[in-house]
Amino acid sequence: MSTIAPKFRLGHFIASLTDNIFWGVVLFTLIGLPIVFIVLFLIELPEIDGKLLSPYLAVTYIADPSRTLPIIQSLIQTDFFKIVAFPGFGFAALIAGATIFIERKFLAKIQLRPGPFYCGKVEGILQLMADGLKLISKEIIIPAKADKPIFWAAPVLFVATAAAFVSLIPVAPGWVVADLDVGLIAVFAIIGFFPIITILVSWAANSKFPFIGGIRALHQMVSFEIPLILSLLGIVILTGTLNLSEIVASQAGIWWIVFLPIGAIVFFISILAELERIPFDLPEAESEIVAGWLTEFSGMMYGLVQLGSYVKLYAFAGLFVTLFLGGWHGPMVVPPFPEEIITEGITMGPISIKIPGLPLFSQEMLNGTLWFVIKTMGVIMVILLPRGVFPRIRIDLLLHVGWYKLIGLCFLNLFIALGLIYGGVLGPEGFIQ
Amino acid sequence: MVGEIASSYSPVLLIFGFALIAMAPTLIISRMIAPKKRSNPVKFLPMECGQVPSGEGRTHFMMQYYAYILMFVVFDVMAIFLFAWGTSMLELPRTATLPILAFLGIMFAAMAYALHESRRRDIW
Repeated sequence: MSTIAPKFRLGHFIASLTDNIFWGVVLFTLIGLPIVFIVLFLIELPEIDGKLLSPYLAVTYIADPSRTLPIIQSLIQTDFFKIVAFPGFGFAALIAGATIFIERKFLAKIQLRPGPFYCGKVEGILQLMADGLKLISKEIIIPAKADKPIFWAAPVLFVATAAAFVSLIPVAPGWVVADLDVGLIAVFAIIGFFPIITILVSWAANSKFPFIGGIRALHQMVSFEIPLILSLLGIVILTGTLNLSEIVASQAGIWWIVFLPIGAIVFFISILAELERIPFDLPEAESEIVAGWLTEFSGMMYGLVQLGSYVKLYAFAGLFVTLFLGGWHGPMVVPPFPEEIITEGITMGPISIKIPGLPLFSQEMLNGTLWFVIKTMGVIMVILLPRGVFPRIRIDLLLHVGWYKLIGLCFLNLFIALGLIYGGVLGPEGFIQ
Repeated sequence: MVGEIASSYSPVLLIFGFALIAMAPTLIISRMIAPKKRSNPVKFLPMECGQVPSGEGRTHFMMQYYAYILMFVVFDVMAIFLFAWGTSMLELPRTATLPILAFLGIMFAAMAYALHESRRRDIW
């Protein structure tokens, strides 16, 4: 019979606890407090109710629940919140996690299997958490001859590049991390980094399967980048702007997929190729080259690459929605915030509390986010669907499709856009505004 | 003015840096809590489906489709040039479209010729 901790003694346990507390206090006073004061000195604090928010005022406000909301509201508007939580990394990672689970269930239903079933009581809902724990507690094995610094950095860089891509996608009116004038060109610039990371991994691993997979990925991503770029030229001609928020705003009436269906189809096929999804998953073809460029990754490094690829999937689906499916536009379904709560406060029995700072989010923002998420999940489902339906195609056919068919269709799409303007249908003099 | 334009790009770099800072600890934690059992040289060999690896990892590999990479270098730049025209097309006079059509014709002809040459097996 084995015991978990054979030499356990309560005295030692308490001594170690007090030891930890002592070092915690010492480090906080020596390092933590100076950092707090430096941060408070450097950060521009918001102004609430006409008073500049000092640290002491902030502490009193937090103690009073009815005054906490203005602080939260001013925090939500900062760049930090946008980057960390809502339209930025946290939101994207949440949708990526949901996508992983939905993909497994959805494919299982297509193939008449139950899918994840045992983790969590209901339909294996905790499978993702179990997988995360499994990945993080696995040993990371790196091949002896690998180029170690690059090999360690590549998964983190992959996630970070995908996150930079997410920052350009507008989710709701005014809710975008980086609202650039040349947003579309910035998207192309960031997409261009993914083949570089892939080829870095395949070279640094110093192994045959990653090398072959990396070369395949390079060919595929590079070949489909030109149809991807050219298929969006029609939209740029019709809107006259590269700013993604303005492109969404221009679709208040009719979505661009109605006028430019060929461009949308070409863009969708290019997305599948850029994301290395079936039928274009040659770089990770598991029945031919083990796992392609991911072969030598183990444990959490593999998990990070998977997270990055699903964040990238969300970003591409969001880009498709932004460009072709009208972004945040949709009928107003979110009910307006009740007026009497703002003017009279909440009444619960004898107590009535008036809370300033409500509503936290405007009705337009909630509605826009709702429609954006619905459309994005729809596009993600359509991207996931081929995995259950199609076989993998050969590399010469893939390159042939990319270079001969799709680029020709891109030019056709361009001439449709020109015809719409010069035929007087769209544009400044067109009869559809 | 220039500073304003440059600072509008800073969130992209900030989210990049945030993802780096947020994701690096997962590797460090994994390194701390993962077991390290029985180190032997076979464990750190490159994966070749259970066989003992033979030869170099970074071998010579026939890049049959190298022509496509070369074509990408040229036509990617040409495709991006078209966006400069596309953004300002609504303000330009209609006659300005004709030179662009000529440019498209040259691009298309060059692409067709390059694709035709890339199918020749004797030059690669």
